[in-house]
Amino acid sequence: MKSALPIGTIVLALIALGVATTVTVTRDTVTLEEDITHRPIETPSDGFVSSKTCKSCHPSQYDTWYGSYHRTMTQVATPDTVLADFSNVRIDAVHGEPMHLEQRGNEFWAEFNDPGVDGPADDRPRITRQVVMITGSHHQQIYWYATGHDRALNVLPGVYLITEQRWAPRSAVVLHPPNQLVSTSNGHWNAVCLACHTTFPKTQFDTPFLSKPIEEQVVDTTTAEFGIACEACHGPAADHVRTHQNPVTRYRRHLGDQPDSTIVQPALLNPQRSSQVCGQCHSVWEFYNVEDERYANTHGFPYRPGDELRDTRFMPQPMEQADSAALRAFIRRDPDFVNGSFWSDGMIRVSGREYNGLIDSPCFKNAPEHGGSKIMSCFSCHTMHKAPNDPRPVSVWAATHQVTAKMDNNEACVQCHETFDTNISQHTRHSAESTGSLCYNCHMPYTSYGLLKAVRSHTVSSPSITETVNIGRPNACNLCHLDKTLAWTGTQLNRWYGTASPQLTVDQNEVAASLLWAMKGDAGQRALTAWAFGWNPAQQVSGTSWMLPHLTELLNDSYEAIRFISYRSLRTLPGYSDVDYDYLAGREERITAVLPILQSWQNSILARRRREPELLVDNEGHLRIDEFARIFNQRDNRPLFLRE
Amino acid sequence: MLGILLETMHGLKIRMYLDVPNETRRLMWTLAHAHGGLLGLIHLILGLCLRIVPEIGSRHLRMISTSLIMASVFLPGGFFLGGIVVYGGDPGLGILAVPIGAALLVVAIYKVARGSATIETTTSTSGKSGRRGNS
Repeated sequence: MKSALPIGTIVLALIALGVATTVTVTRDTVTLEEDITHRPIETPSDGFVSSKTCKSCHPSQYDTWYGSYHRTMTQVATPDTVLADFSNVRIDAVHGEPMHLEQRGNEFWAEFNDPGVDGPADDRPRITRQVVMITGSHHQQIYWYATGHDRALNVLPGVYLITEQRWAPRSAVVLHPPNQLVSTSNGHWNAVCLACHTTFPKTQFDTPFLSKPIEEQVVDTTTAEFGIACEACHGPAADHVRTHQNPVTRYRRHLGDQPDSTIVQPALLNPQRSSQVCGQCHSVWEFYNVEDERYANTHGFPYRPGDELRDTRFMPQPMEQADSAALRAFIRRDPDFVNGSFWSDGMIRVSGREYNGLIDSPCFKNAPEHGGSKIMSCFSCHTMHKAPNDPRPVSVWAATHQVTAKMDNNEACVQCHETFDTNISQHTRHSAESTGSLCYNCHMPYTSYGLLKAVRSHTVSSPSITETVNIGRPNACNLCHLDKTLAWTGTQLNRWYGTASPQLTVDQNEVAASLLWAMKGDAGQRALTAWAFGWNPAQQVSGTSWMLPHLTELLNDSYEAIRFISYRSLRTLPGYSDVDYDYLAGREERITAVLPILQSWQNSILARRRREPELLVDNEGHLRIDEFARIFNQRDNRPLFLRE
Repeated sequence: MLGILLETMHGLKIRMYLDVPNETRRLMWTLAHAHGGLLGLIHLILGLCLRIVPEIGSRHLRMISTSLIMASVFLPGGFFLGGIVVYGGDPGLGILAVPIGAALLVVAIYKVARGSATIETTTSTSGKSGRRGNS
């Protein structure tokens, strides 16, 4: 009996040792972030401690941030983050650039044509690279692969469209002139993208990006945290964490009302500075000079929430600074610096740059500096953390642009413009329940473009056909009343508000404004119009029976993005939800796909339902092909690349 | 009772208990429930021990009992109060009752341990005398 005990103990100990060894040897090994050499890494520094530190004291804020698309702007490629199918699939959707995708354990690999070698696609050698990082998780995912040179990344030739669950060439997901290559710069993410897609990045190129071949540069990119994390808006938190480890300090803060000087709370900043916290990323900006760029390259961007953003960044405001020397200098270096992002009057026209729109809004700039309670800021309508009493799920709040509860309707505006709180119809001349009485639709119409859709302009303005005539920007009225002419709109605006109408051409008097934009507008106008055809409020107001021939014309647009948007809008028309059409197919194939659609419409009762001449139909409902062709031949075919 | 309340809030998905902003409340009330249950068990065990070996509490029974009862109030009570009002990751000020309860529990356990040690010493001394007498 006595001798059994030691033997039993020894046996048990050996079993335990065997189990522990097996578990240790067979479990996945984890590579420490600091040991990774083939991609940018997270290295908290300079007082940045990462969001993981925030969670224990701020679980609610951490949770809402975690559910937002800010967090997933940049992610390491893992089985949890990659949305595209990498299970040994061949992707041919990227013309001339077939990819073979493969998942090896937890790693993602792609084989594709070497972008570093010129020549016909068939003649270029194939390379296999590991996909290591991802941009996006809401509309698209862009995949970045390790080039093998330091931490430099390059991008796969295809982009994954999440809702459509398909791949598309990079050139097809931006509004980019056809037959022009989208630049594929090795190291572009390291030098450019990370500025707004990570928290406190350091590009760390030994010489400026593109100053010499990247293979000759040292690229040691790091960032405090991937994605737009807590400290991007609140500033470095090391002092805050250290100070509040003392429970006495914490409870003094809980029970008192003293402001916390160890961290920035953007909601407590004045409207100008709080908006700049968002504006550090949601804007068109540039370094003032090479020295500033070099400093940021090595030491990180010097802007901290609460600082005056313009101290370290040039923020173009073409609406007000058209003659500024600084702006002219940028345009000399980059002729498309303004045209690629702004309408000709200086209003921002691309998504993701809402700060440029805000600062041109009367609601913002006409308010007293650093004072007053009624100054519009980003926080007037948006919140970075869903309120605990907001009944919406975090996913819904995140998907609706993080608009604060109840700020998705007129409450957002009447919080300042109280006179319109009652009897809104008297102001809008539309019934109170209609979309025409939603302040946003008239004063923040869908005139910005990005991510294959129209986005609300953040320059609060009033409908104006003068702007449409002089600048080409679609006005709010005709974006809804797609079947009406500019003359019709001018008459209403004059009758209701005394707005003077400009001199209009014959076409502007007699042809629906949307058709003029669709047929002879530039690529940006056509994209917005194609989107508006699929916008439900516009469909309700304008009817849809007449739209198909115009959408089918846009299905053959030379810009892939316009074809994509048109197809999506076409499928919202009653009876056309199952239309099969590949917007990336060759021209002949597309025409072949579209003709039967057009034919069926012409043979249907829909074709004869609307006979207004402004819709380019004759008295019998037939399309006036001659007018189509005449207007189409006036199309603005200047190449346009909108820099989303 | 607290356990029934917590289960009910789980069953009815009461947001003030289950939502993420109330994570600290949920933790505090779970700790209150757990500590209350454990202290109840300690009471039972002490009662059984006293029944079998009454000498354990012969000298400090009143202090042991009072300390344990008060620990059973302060420990779970402190957690419960600390969960009523929370400050993000921090419990409310009621949490200050917890260390008081913990100290009282330590006192009770110490007194029981001292009582147990006293019995062993007395027993071993008596046992040796008895054996010498009988031989």
